[in-house]
Amino acid sequence: MAQDTGGAKDAGPWIDPLKYVAAKPDLPKDTIETAKKIGPLSYTVLIDEKHLVSKLYNMVNVPTGVWINEQGRIVRPNEVAFVDDRFKNFTGMDSEPYLNALKDWVEKGDKSAYVMSEDHLREKLTAQDPSIAQASAEFGLGEQLYKSGHPTQAIAHFKEAQRLNPKSWNYKRQAYALTNEKDYGTTFRDEVQKIGGSKVYYPPPELPATEKKQN
Amino acid sequence: MKASMSSGLLLILILATLPAAAKELHATIVYDDTATDLTSAREDAGQLWITSADLKRATRFEVKPQGVCRDELCFPLPKAKREAFIHKDAASGNSRQTWFNMIAFADLVHQPVAHDAALSTWYFGLRSDQRRQLSSLQAPDFTLPDLQGKPHRLSDFHGKKILLVTWASW
Repeated sequence: MAQDTGGAKDAGPWIDPLKYVAAKPDLPKDTIETAKKIGPLSYTVLIDEKHLVSKLYNMVNVPTGVWINEQGRIVRPNEVAFVDDRFKNFTGMDSEPYLNALKDWVEKGDKSAYVMSEDHLREKLTAQDPSIAQASAEFGLGEQLYKSGHPTQAIAHFKEAQRLNPKSWNYKRQAYALTNEKDYGTTFRDEVQKIGGSKVYYPPPELPATEKKQN
Repeated sequence: MKASMSSGLLLILILATLPAAAKELHATIVYDDTATDLTSAREDAGQLWITSADLKRATRFEVKPQGVCRDELCFPLPKAKREAFIHKDAASGNSRQTWFNMIAFADLVHQPVAHDAALSTWYFGLRSDQRRQLSSLQAPDFTLPDLQGKPHRLSDFHGKKILLVTWASW
């Protein structure tokens, strides 16, 4: 689910990397190599111009993963979900423990040790603070104004969304990408430094220690 | 100084007792993430009044005897405060317009509202009944398009395990 206000225009090249690099032969060699390595995607990729999924599930960053069982019930809530190591230099996070947990769930279903208890799930999923709902409305208004040709007027509402829900990196980064970080008096890099650097930018998934793979 | 303060107070008192004059405006509302330009709207003391026809067009909600309803969903209006939600104009010619107060309704259903005064645009967020869905642990359903524009609904994948992952280009 691409959380992109710019829709297919912005998200498209990432969904069809081979087509993207074929149309731009001047791209750096490593970008072309990465695109070839990724190849055609084998899973469903959707475009979410309104950040609807983040709104419905109270998500604050990307990539965020949710596990949903065969009955449509959530069994693991929002957490960082890297399924490869392409951002490992930035995050310092290895995707292997998460991938092993995922394989365990695919094999064992609801009996997997990685499936969370209902109480734990509710605690993690439910946003009690009404300012979070208000932040989401301010962000939605900002998107509407941006798309209807009023990018400057959108900034005040994006700022208000960021103020009301400071934990949302989606609100910060999407807004910076639409206009300019200067409009917000900060940069993504500065914001990451404020919380202690890129190695703590993503809270690691809560995986039971007993299930860690022994190497 | 004292004289100017009391004349200021007097002015405030006069304004407060005057019948509120509703301002007619060209407004846009965003409901369920869909923007609708209203045919007419009135703003009065922070309240947004829209016609019953626009209510149906922009939100698919309708005022019925049992409340404000859409499909199976119905929100009863508090009887004692009905005039805070619905206002009928005095008959003029053949028409008698009915107005609905979107802000009072949002308050009733615990729905956040964001407003841009300069562009007369109101955004209505998730109602509390939509937000509560998450605590049922049933995955909130949605429909979104793929790159070719083909819509996919989450519940179409029922019977399979789903790894739902968000990402972004930015």
